Amino acid sequence: MLMQQIDTAPARIAGILKSAEAAVRAIPPAFPLSATVAVNPFLGQTGEDLATAAARLARVAGVAILRPRVDLAAEVAAGRITDDDLSEALLACRSALKPADLAMLKARLAATPPAPAALPTVAELAARATGTDWPALIARCIGLWAAGRFDRGQALWTPAPGQGAFAAWREWATHDLTPEIAGLAGFCAHVAAAPDTAERAILRAAGRLGIDEAAAPTAFHRLLTDLGGWAQHARWLLWEAELKGGTDATPADTLAIRLVWEEALLAHAPAVAEDWAQTVAAHAAPVVPTPDHVIDAILQEAAERAHQRRLAAALTGPRAQAGRPALQAAFCIDVRSEVFRRALEALDPGIATIGFAGFFGLPLAHRAHGTDEVAAHLPVLLKPALTSTSQAAPEVEQAIRIAARTARAWSRFRQAAVSSFAFVEAAGPFYGAKLVRDALGLTKDPASAPAPRIEGGLSAEAKAATGAAVLKAMSLTQGHARLVLLLGHGGNVTNNPHESAYHCGACGGKTGEVSARLLASLLNDHETRAGLPGHGIDLAADTLFLAGLHDTTTDEILLYEDAPVPTHAADIAAAKDWLTRAGKAARAERAVRLPGATPATVAARARDWAEVRPEWGLAGCAAFIAAPRAVTAAADLQGRAFLHSYDWQTDHGFGTLELILTAPVVVASWISLQYYGSSVAPAAFGGGNKLIHNVTGGIGVVQGNGGALRPGLPWQTVHDGKRLIHEPLRLSILIEASQAAMSEILARHPGVRDLFDNGWLHLFALEGGRIAARYRPGLTWEGAEAHSRAA
Amino acid sequence: MDPLSLAPLPLLAAAVFAATRPGRRPVAVPAVAELATLAALALAAAGVVWLFVAGSTVIAVGSGPWMLALRLDAVSATMGLLVAFVGWIVERYSRRYLDGETREGRFHALMLATLAAVLVLVQSGSLLVLAAAFVAVGLGLRQLLLFYPDRPEARRAAAKFSLVWSAGDAAVILAGVLLWLAFGSADLAAISEAAPASLPLAAKVAVALLVLAAALKTAAFPLHGWLTEVMEAPTPVSALLHAGIVNAGGFLLIRLADLVQASPGAMAALVMIGGFTALFGALVMLTQAAVKTALAWSTVAQMGFMLLQCGLGLWALALLHIVAHSLYKAHAFLASGGAVQAVAATRRPGPVAAPGIGAVARAFLIAVALYAVVAAGFSALAGEKSPQALALGLILVFGVAYLVAQGLADAAPSALTQRTAAASAGAAVAYFAFHQAAFALWGGGLPQAPLAGALEWALIVLALCSFGLVAVAQALFPHWAHHPAAAGLRVHLANGLYLNALLDRAIGGLRLARPN
Repeated sequence: MLMQQIDTAPARIAGILKSAEAAVRAIPPAFPLSATVAVNPFLGQTGEDLATAAARLARVAGVAILRPRVDLAAEVAAGRITDDDLSEALLACRSALKPADLAMLKARLAATPPAPAALPTVAELAARATGTDWPALIARCIGLWAAGRFDRGQALWTPAPGQGAFAAWREWATHDLTPEIAGLAGFCAHVAAAPDTAERAILRAAGRLGIDEAAAPTAFHRLLTDLGGWAQHARWLLWEAELKGGTDATPADTLAIRLVWEEALLAHAPAVAEDWAQTVAAHAAPVVPTPDHVIDAILQEAAERAHQRRLAAALTGPRAQAGRPALQAAFCIDVRSEVFRRALEALDPGIATIGFAGFFGLPLAHRAHGTDEVAAHLPVLLKPALTSTSQAAPEVEQAIRIAARTARAWSRFRQAAVSSFAFVEAAGPFYGAKLVRDALGLTKDPASAPAPRIEGGLSAEAKAATGAAVLKAMSLTQGHARLVLLLGHGGNVTNNPHESAYHCGACGGKTGEVSARLLASLLNDHETRAGLPGHGIDLAADTLFLAGLHDTTTDEILLYEDAPVPTHAADIAAAKDWLTRAGKAARAERAVRLPGATPATVAARARDWAEVRPEWGLAGCAAFIAAPRAVTAAADLQGRAFLHSYDWQTDHGFGTLELILTAPVVVASWISLQYYGSSVAPAAFGGGNKLIHNVTGGIGVVQGNGGALRPGLPWQTVHDGKRLIHEPLRLSILIEASQAAMSEILARHPGVRDLFDNGWLHLFALEGGRIAARYRPGLTWEGAEAHSRAA
Repeated sequence: MDPLSLAPLPLLAAAVFAATRPGRRPVAVPAVAELATLAALALAAAGVVWLFVAGSTVIAVGSGPWMLALRLDAVSATMGLLVAFVGWIVERYSRRYLDGETREGRFHALMLATLAAVLVLVQSGSLLVLAAAFVAVGLGLRQLLLFYPDRPEARRAAAKFSLVWSAGDAAVILAGVLLWLAFGSADLAAISEAAPASLPLAAKVAVALLVLAAALKTAAFPLHGWLTEVMEAPTPVSALLHAGIVNAGGFLLIRLADLVQASPGAMAALVMIGGFTALFGALVMLTQAAVKTALAWSTVAQMGFMLLQCGLGLWALALLHIVAHSLYKAHAFLASGGAVQAVAATRRPGPVAAPGIGAVARAFLIAVALYAVVAAGFSALAGEKSPQALALGLILVFGVAYLVAQGLADAAPSALTQRTAAASAGAAVAYFAFHQAAFALWGGGLPQAPLAGALEWALIVLALCSFGLVAVAQALFPHWAHHPAAAGLRVHLANGLYLNALLDRAIGGLRLARPN
């Protein structure tokens, strides 16, 4: 009954549907901009190496994910990449297609590999045959539908809720006359007659388009790529559902929608049948890299080895530290912290800094001031386990909500039919003052929210256990200063749709304020303190924890003095003075790279509503170092390294090491690969041009009039107009720990191991603060002679 | 020389300077560009002072059809100040926003030149200046829309814009020729004063052409498609276009108000075109999920409403609408990057309380009562109002009823009811106060609304009924918007009733550049 009309064997049905599922998982999820986090655009390709992924994405997206050869050849010519780097990269390459020797590799430097071209869709073939731009029409029609479908509150008139995406689209498309006006006669009837479920539609279309099991994986991947961010947003819905133990059919629905279009266009332009059959045959061929892909991957590896060589030279061994520090300050591992930490430590030898993921290990679902909505404040790979709130007394909360609802009623008055005319005549003239205020940046920062607390509280035992777990994970079990600052971070930008991308990725695209304040109050709690010795933590009685927020745009730090502490007033005053001076130094360092900035104007960029490059975010990130701070303290890492404090000697059983490799390292890899993808293949993985961004549905941006949603980083985020500010490198992970322990952990986590075995990340073992060994695929290690020689 | 007439000069000088450094990060160009706009703003402000001190001023050279004249009066001083102000805001914004673009210098040159052309346009005193300024604005804007010429969408939008704008230019030029033939003068003021109660045929055709030009240039139905696609240019261009350029059609009518009002047919056409466009645009806007696209549809609607005001003979209010809308829309475009946060903020306080039918009925009664009180108050202060003005007030009060209704929803707490009631009263008082100010500022130089005859009354009733109907439907929106029967309507409206698709088909917008 199920597949009556479709003349296929059950095995084939299963194969096609499996391919559809695989295609859905081949594309990365795009988080809504309201709380966006970096996503590895190659998430679906981590099971293969860079050259193979390049071949795949060339086929399905028509993009090169390897840097232009001319750029890397220029680095070779300039001596930034040496012959040693090239030889080592060549030696490390395991492809049979690689050049025989260094001379042959260098001979290929001057060549220009062919530009990648995606295998055509039926729409593209039909466009060539009929002269009508069908892909543009599809982008426009699906874009308009999807913008409404995924809208979270921009338009007043949204589609009726409660339908699946495919059913909703069918209803839309049977009414939408645009395709027929453009010349695709009978499209509404074609949609009306389409199967009523996505699965059947996929199977019928596969049958009509002649897509067999061999061709389906990349043929479907091709179509999902064609939908750009809409398919990726649908993939995010699935991601969210799966995190909660459910599932979501939206991504498969979007594939079905695109297939219905292909069917219609094949019927409209039957002349393309032969070309299409050839395309299907090409899809059926296995994905293998070309020799050019292999060469470019070797050059990429050489560029990374060049960076690793410079990094190794910068790591000259641990700096000695003695005595109780005058101040300890814990920052997020975010690369932007490195600049500030270096500036702060330079002020006084008694200042010690610590690096840890900005959610400070608290898996929070947080209810903010003035709302019942709960937002996750933790890495998106994890599930919240604690619920916190910043809500004030009920009457205060009520008043905030009334004010917010009045503002909302006013905004609906502004938007609604007829009333919008009254709005303009009653309120329009006042916008003259608003224009002056915003043009001159006279806006005020909002007041900070009340201190957060755990909903329902925690038992004394739970407090101590949580506090001890966090301190151990931070390798902060002894030798505490009188004052320990816990500093979350957040960007501070105006009028920027990508605001949350500047916030803390480890806090789910929020600022680290809530996590830092909660941890400080937890660690100051006398019940926690009383239980800590029982967990083997020796915390001095006079140690005070104080939360703060590092504003990464202005390099100012706001301390949350939620309760007066007279005993530590002098310590706090000294800390504030240091922080102010460190901020000044950090701004001066950053101003050099920011276009049009001087040290004095860096902070003003936060208020400028026209500023498209308020700060560089994590651009430039290239390394992740998990070691005691002493190892990196002497080095200027130029804001390019994630620094995670880790002391293997106190990590009994390597539980913390496992946590680092499976959580912060993976999050950092997502960030670095997002920057990589947005820099190297902006057409497929970049957020487009900020100057023509059009915010859609509160979830993302489209360019200009509409079309595909554009996830990823905008071009202005990685490029200063003249050159890429982000050097696209795969991240080098350096960990001071035993090689055997790391191998053992990777063996237990095949997903993480894939990242290293397939070259999406490099891994090094540090010993005594220097690189001791390089990880090689297959859980093996290679000694560091090559590095010491190069250094 | 009155100061306003000098205002385009610093802009042109800066434009020439910028044109010599067209590339990326041109030294001194962004700073010079902003300074030039500040100079123009200062001159425009001085023009207002001049007007109060010295009265209306005309600078003219040449004679006959080739007469070149700039005029400073209440209308041009207002428009000049508005355009110069928006110009400064937009240029200051562009200073940072365009930083690092490959053709950064060229952008500033085009922006300044276009701004200068708009400043000339709003003080044009003769037919030739008027027509030439319109053409120049179109040329500048076309180049700005093609700032990213590699984007097919941008080329498509520019092609549509050029088509409609040039058609408008042609209508203006033809109307100019006819007016010259009818009145033997190229002086706009002279033509307006000479307009007799009954127009000769040539003048009647000229007025029809002027109405056509205004409809094209304000993106009125059915050729509005160009305006809803011009988000292809950087945001400041959209801000300038929506705040300073799209209302030029309205300015054209206001400038020649005496002449236009002498043609009852033209007035009726304006009411119908404007009223329909206003409702059409406002309904389409409800369905748009992309912020700039929604703003563009809102402009279509607001310009339609402005044409309606012209058609009712409420010239001062039309000018008020231009000013108010420009300020609002410039801000809305420039601040559109905040839409992510704005949407999140609307979600934060939880679900919206939807008013029931009873609440909506009460809201309309309350709003009309409020209107009666406020209108009576202002009438007592400032004298009798024309039926057209009263009708317009009623339409606006229908809008306020929507605000009142939200506070009357059963689920709305009483504190919310009080707040929305206060906001409603505030809105009502504010706009009647602005109306009063508009009549005081500009009413003297503009014709009074025509005495309402049968035609006028029919139009008033038609407008009241249609706006009233839409207002009630809007207030009851949650009760029907998701009904299956409305699904098709939503699709058709979201597509703007396909007029853009039809225009694309007509001009081959979806044809590939080089089909095989």
